Amino acid sequence: MAVTAVGQAGVVPRSSSTADAVRPPEGAVLLERLRGQGRARPAVDPGLAGGLRDWLEDGLAGVTDDLAVDGGSVRVTKEALTGVLMCEAHLVARRSSPRNVTLELVRGSLVDALFRQWVTTGRLDDPWSDALGAVRVDGDSDIIGFLDAMTPDSRGDLAREVAEHAGGVVARWPVPSPSWLPRTQERLVVPLVGGRVVLSGVVDLAFGGPAGERASVCVVEIKSGRRRIEHRGDLHFYALLETLRSGAPPFRIATYYTRTGELDVEAVTDDVLVGALQRVLAGTGRLCRLAAGSEPARTANGLCAWCTALPGCEPGQERAGTDVPRQAGDATTDDDFSLLVETETGGAGGTEGDDRP
Amino acid sequence: MTAPPATGMSLALPRAGALTEALLTPDADAVGAEDVAALRDRLAGDLVALVEELPTGERLRLDGYRFDMAREHPERCRAVEGPFTPSPLVCRRAIGLNAMARCVRGWSPTPAAAVAEVLAAGVEDVADGGDPSSTRPPWWAGWYRSLPAGGRAMVEAEAVTWATQVWTALEWDRFAPAPIVGGGDDWWDCPGTRRLTLRGRADVRVRGDGPPALLVVGSGLPPSDWRSALGFPALVSALARGGSSAPCRVVGLWPASGQVRILPVDAAALSETAGAVVAAVATWVDGRLEAQGLPVT
Repeated sequence: MAVTAVGQAGVVPRSSSTADAVRPPEGAVLLERLRGQGRARPAVDPGLAGGLRDWLEDGLAGVTDDLAVDGGSVRVTKEALTGVLMCEAHLVARRSSPRNVTLELVRGSLVDALFRQWVTTGRLDDPWSDALGAVRVDGDSDIIGFLDAMTPDSRGDLAREVAEHAGGVVARWPVPSPSWLPRTQERLVVPLVGGRVVLSGVVDLAFGGPAGERASVCVVEIKSGRRRIEHRGDLHFYALLETLRSGAPPFRIATYYTRTGELDVEAVTDDVLVGALQRVLAGTGRLCRLAAGSEPARTANGLCAWCTALPGCEPGQERAGTDVPRQAGDATTDDDFSLLVETETGGAGGTEGDDRP
Repeated sequence: MTAPPATGMSLALPRAGALTEALLTPDADAVGAEDVAALRDRLAGDLVALVEELPTGERLRLDGYRFDMAREHPERCRAVEGPFTPSPLVCRRAIGLNAMARCVRGWSPTPAAAVAEVLAAGVEDVADGGDPSSTRPPWWAGWYRSLPAGGRAMVEAEAVTWATQVWTALEWDRFAPAPIVGGGDDWWDCPGTRRLTLRGRADVRVRGDGPPALLVVGSGLPPSDWRSALGFPALVSALARGGSSAPCRVVGLWPASGQVRILPVDAAALSETAGAVVAAVATWVDGRLEAQGLPVT
């Protein structure tokens, strides 16, 4: 059973199948791995989704009792889960600080947009200008502000990097057939405890029609950063959300790394879903306690060096060896820093807009 | 007043079968023309008195968006409304419905193909703007045409995702005759005043031997008072089209959460919604008065 340990951080160890010597999958091979061709799709247990929902409702009974009556819902995203399970105090500190827009976050947004464009239209003419056009129309003012403030040299460096990611996508990813019903940035929202808790996420790519007797949906997450163990927990969370939402689990979940072309594909078993559920229960309990005003627990971890609460945190100082927080960009190749970037929420979970006029 | 009974839906997979069934199953207590006429008179009486308190020169167009805002975020009714800004999220429904209509008619094989065709046609219509014989371009087309390729791709992607979610939610070949996808909105000008119009909107209108059933697609999660949210398009449809055309039920679908709500439309449901409309109009009138620094009566 592959359950991500609570608060665990680290780079995924490379197996022989993903060694550098192995070429990343591309074209038909990539699709074959995503579709699991040659294998029968798993039968859907019609009671599974209801059972998981009941388990969650039972597990969260009483957890929301201390929340303010009109305090809205506790939103549980993949970033919030990873953050709260790693260190509650760090999560609280980050939420009370201005959004930390980094080069990595901006690169991720640009690459996500290009991947979406490629999958939808099958065209990428000028990656830099296409990506800029996409983020400007999507209106993330922090990302746009960061891009506008860049020097010509640093913009040039970023443009080259983005073009490399885009080149890899174009070279390796066939445009999915429209008959597979591909959807990009699909929002998933699952209300629990009468809406006091809302699990939410945005899937980069999903394809396959709604399930009948057999599972039929594949979910793909796109990462422009390095491969990390936490990504598996994110995917399992999405598998759980999709199961609860649609009544059937996806048959495949995958993470695609645009920098290297690595593709991690996993079948969705009951163990995957149960592991994700236990992680949700653990994290949601903590998020609810924080929302009710409880003092956040401090847990030393690899992010302590960047934590804005470090000056007042003894365990963090012991771990970091200093009481002065590092700034974003001090060591952008650091593994822990890359996790910091990925737990930057900035409204993660997607916003549902109204449809006007 | 008692709320209409909740109608359940089978959760058996595939869910499209159950959702389609929910739209095809007629309800026994259809609303009569006399009920609608009586409701219209009562509603108009309540509303005319309210909207006459609006600041001089102001009119109110209450659509689903403003109806929801008055109930869920009344404080926002005091804010000055800024200019309308299109975005991929805002355009997805309009483009997606056109695309689904193409699929229903068999003109396009998939939502993705249909969305691409709808967008191309929109751009063409804008380009033909000076030609009086050409089709009037859709409201989003000029903005879409002005975008760079990356921006256009985001509009297309958002519309494809929305249209695919709705397209796969129903078993379309079970509807005979084919349902109306999108179609025109329902408009009701409140009698006795020129200052209030209700605008109702359904995403799919299923026709049969009896009264129509409506499908309304929402974002995110169903609101806590989903009965009013679903009752609003039914009420406006009944007021605008007359009693015999009042829908028999409204099915709400929230694809992001997989939630479905079913509202059987009877006289009690319409009356309950009418009460919510009066309250929403009152909230808007107060909001407009406060926005202009005028006393709220």
